[in-house]
Amino acid sequence: MKIKKNFSSQSGQHQIMVQTEPLYESLDENIRKIKEDLGSSDDIIIREIRIGREGSVKVAVLYTDGLADKQVITEFFMESLMKKDTLIEPIEQLSDGDKRLESLKGMVLQIGDNKDITDFASLYNSLLSGDTVILLDGYSQGIAASTQGWQSRSISEPVAQSVVRGPQEAFTETLRTNTSMIRRKIKDPNLWLETKQIGRVTKTNVAVMYIKGIVNDKIVEEVRKRLDRIDIDGILESGYIEELIQDEVYSPFPTINNTERPDVAAAELLEGRVVILVDGTPFVLIVPTLFISFFQTAEDYYQRADISTLLRIIRFISLFIAMIGPALYIAITTFHQELLPTQLLISLAAQREGVPFPAFIEALMMEVTFEILREAGIRMPRPIGQAVSIVGTLVIGQAAVEAGIVSASMVIVVSITAISSFVITGYSMAISIRMIRFVIMGLAASFGIFGIVVALIALVLHLCSLRSFGIPYMSPFAPFVVGEHKDTIFRLPHWALSSRPRLINQKNSIRKQMSPPSKPKS
Amino acid sequence: MMNTVKISIRQFTVLVMFYTIGTTILIIPSSLAADAEQNAWIAAIVGWLLGFIAVGLYILLSRLFPNMTLIEYTEKVFGKWLGNLFSLLFVIFSFIGASTVLFYMGNFMTTQVLPETPIESFTILFAGIIIMGLRLGLEVLARTAEILFPWFLILFMVSTLLLIPEIEIQKIQPIVEIGIKPIIKGALSFVGTASLPLIVFLMVFPAFVNNPKKAGKAFIIGNLLGGLFVIIITFLSISILGPDFSERNMYPSYALAKKINIGNFIQRVEILMAGMWFMTIFFKTSFYSYSFLKGLAQICGLKDHRPLALPYGIILVVYSLVVYPNVVYMMDFDSKIWVPYALTTCLFLPLIILGVGTIRGKMKK
Repeated sequence: MKIKKNFSSQSGQHQIMVQTEPLYESLDENIRKIKEDLGSSDDIIIREIRIGREGSVKVAVLYTDGLADKQVITEFFMESLMKKDTLIEPIEQLSDGDKRLESLKGMVLQIGDNKDITDFASLYNSLLSGDTVILLDGYSQGIAASTQGWQSRSISEPVAQSVVRGPQEAFTETLRTNTSMIRRKIKDPNLWLETKQIGRVTKTNVAVMYIKGIVNDKIVEEVRKRLDRIDIDGILESGYIEELIQDEVYSPFPTINNTERPDVAAAELLEGRVVILVDGTPFVLIVPTLFISFFQTAEDYYQRADISTLLRIIRFISLFIAMIGPALYIAITTFHQELLPTQLLISLAAQREGVPFPAFIEALMMEVTFEILREAGIRMPRPIGQAVSIVGTLVIGQAAVEAGIVSASMVIVVSITAISSFVITGYSMAISIRMIRFVIMGLAASFGIFGIVVALIALVLHLCSLRSFGIPYMSPFAPFVVGEHKDTIFRLPHWALSSRPRLINQKNSIRKQMSPPSKPKS
Repeated sequence: MMNTVKISIRQFTVLVMFYTIGTTILIIPSSLAADAEQNAWIAAIVGWLLGFIAVGLYILLSRLFPNMTLIEYTEKVFGKWLGNLFSLLFVIFSFIGASTVLFYMGNFMTTQVLPETPIESFTILFAGIIIMGLRLGLEVLARTAEILFPWFLILFMVSTLLLIPEIEIQKIQPIVEIGIKPIIKGALSFVGTASLPLIVFLMVFPAFVNNPKKAGKAFIIGNLLGGLFVIIITFLSISILGPDFSERNMYPSYALAKKINIGNFIQRVEILMAGMWFMTIFFKTSFYSYSFLKGLAQICGLKDHRPLALPYGIILVVYSLVVYPNVVYMMDFDSKIWVPYALTTCLFLPLIILGVGTIRGKMKK
């Protein structure tokens, strides 16, 4: 937080420093200015060389060490620039600056992607993104050649969203790799990509991807508008973007989904959604997102339809257990004991006899303990994990029961609640559910089932008021759309999933026209 | 922005259904049994059929003035002063309706479920979600109804199915022994509680429904479904509890749920069944409140009714505590005063509007 503040206080100065000042004609002056502006940083490599047969043409090659691919620079620039062969010859004879630059570009630089630079702002931008900049003495213009090549993590297995069956690759931290992974899945000219830089200081590349003709243009327009509205010093993760463009600020529920799986991103694109990729993070954003998206996984579409449906139903049951499990236990043991069969009631009462706390306090203690353990499990250095899990089992377990602090049944309730919350596939949704659980527990402790029902009605009211980029969050449940229930709780076979979600895209809604596979006629 | 809010036909149907069931499901078996004894279920059916007259009247009114709310066309028909006076009658009716329903809720909780908790805590909590719903607006309320509808249906089906083994058919015999008059009396109280208050939907119908042509049908279907649920509950309480016990019990459907016993395992699940009444009561109170707020806003010429929601909620809680000083008064009011009151506001008033409106419309031609 502190660091962030410092950044923003300096950003004013920063703004002044990087002005769109044109390049000077003199090479020395340009280099002096660059050194001054960049504080003579060690990783900025400036090589001044003389080219031409007599070495009369002064040229400077600039790149950022670590960001630019040294091999490319050596092979394509240095060698061809230094080579005193015929290729260079005309350069000295051409007196006109533009022509010299042109010939430099055309003949020397064998790199495909290069652009002209006329001012310092774009020079810094290119230089610090890994491009190599070539400045020619006597001309207020330079060339930036794309030589990006830095060390990055290679494509690995997804960590947060793993599947048993399905592609085992995940996005990486490099934007270009990520877009290429999507392109590899969708080879259609209509897959469009728009990139913009967001963040005054970090200048992070943010790419918006969609399939033209399937996507709802209004949503793309809305995404553009909201992204343009962002004014922040730095974007370090897609979470920044998510918070800055979401519809409802005061809501525990995420209205933007994220994924680290290229196959999920591709599937969402095919449904007409917009994918937002942010450089520097493997998590891409998906808009618009519906409540139901957090209970579906990629694997639902790779497994057979009936199995997927069953798994989805289990996920919904888990949702309810995670949300109201402890609350129901509190309500029933405190107010509605008559609900329980007598035998069970007696054994519960016997267990609770030695426990000095009311059920609510008991549940609260155990839930908080569990949340602490869970948090510790994530943040802790990995080698200590073993120790925590042992201690954890003791705390939420036999020892706690034997010490007479909690009842054994409470341990069961807390455990099943904890496990259930991990079944919800959307991690951000699971966190919200955990938060809400405590509120419902409080209401259950004061009003019993009445409190739970009131909490649920309030929850449904809130959920129904949410929208994600204009699409009602609870659709297709409310507003109820019959045709879309083939892929919500149930997942019908692929041949039956013939249309795209109607609320997300109004046009081009037919996906495929297929009849069920038939048996060979005997 | 206000006029762009539209709810779909399906949402409208579900809302009408929830509203018809409302508190009716909780209290009507008792008052029907008081009037018609073991024929209470017949009285319910008669009342249900009579209810269609009221719904028909409302549909006629809406045909006469499409794209307008009750308040707007009352003013159009009777002019500013007289129109607003009539509108005020309607608005007050809605307010009294809302506060009585809130009282039922609180009273039910304190007498049946949590006797040691003060009634204020229930009414305040319940008013809280009503205020929330009102602030979020009609569209959100409609969507909420859509989501809660399957849950209601599951709870209702389960309770009905589990109660079937308990039916003792001799309890409803002899059929039509006591004559027509008590049945009509019972039917009137059914109409007064279930069908006539549907007038509040004239604040959303047909102006805020996205397909006004089909909305009339939706209105009828909603009322039909809602009535059906109430008839089933009435039949079950008469045939399981018997007319005498149904009459003496203030909340026979709650007593009914206590009878459920499947293999000594599923038993005493009445509080889960109460969950569905909390839902229906929520919608009934919300719609009374909605029509009150919307009506008040239109009488006063306000563009948006939402800022009024919080102060209204506070007044509602207080008024719900004083609307019935005690339960005896409540029973007396419900059986003697409510039905004529509902008839005046919800039948005669619209009839006058319809008559005058038609005559004025013809005179213009």
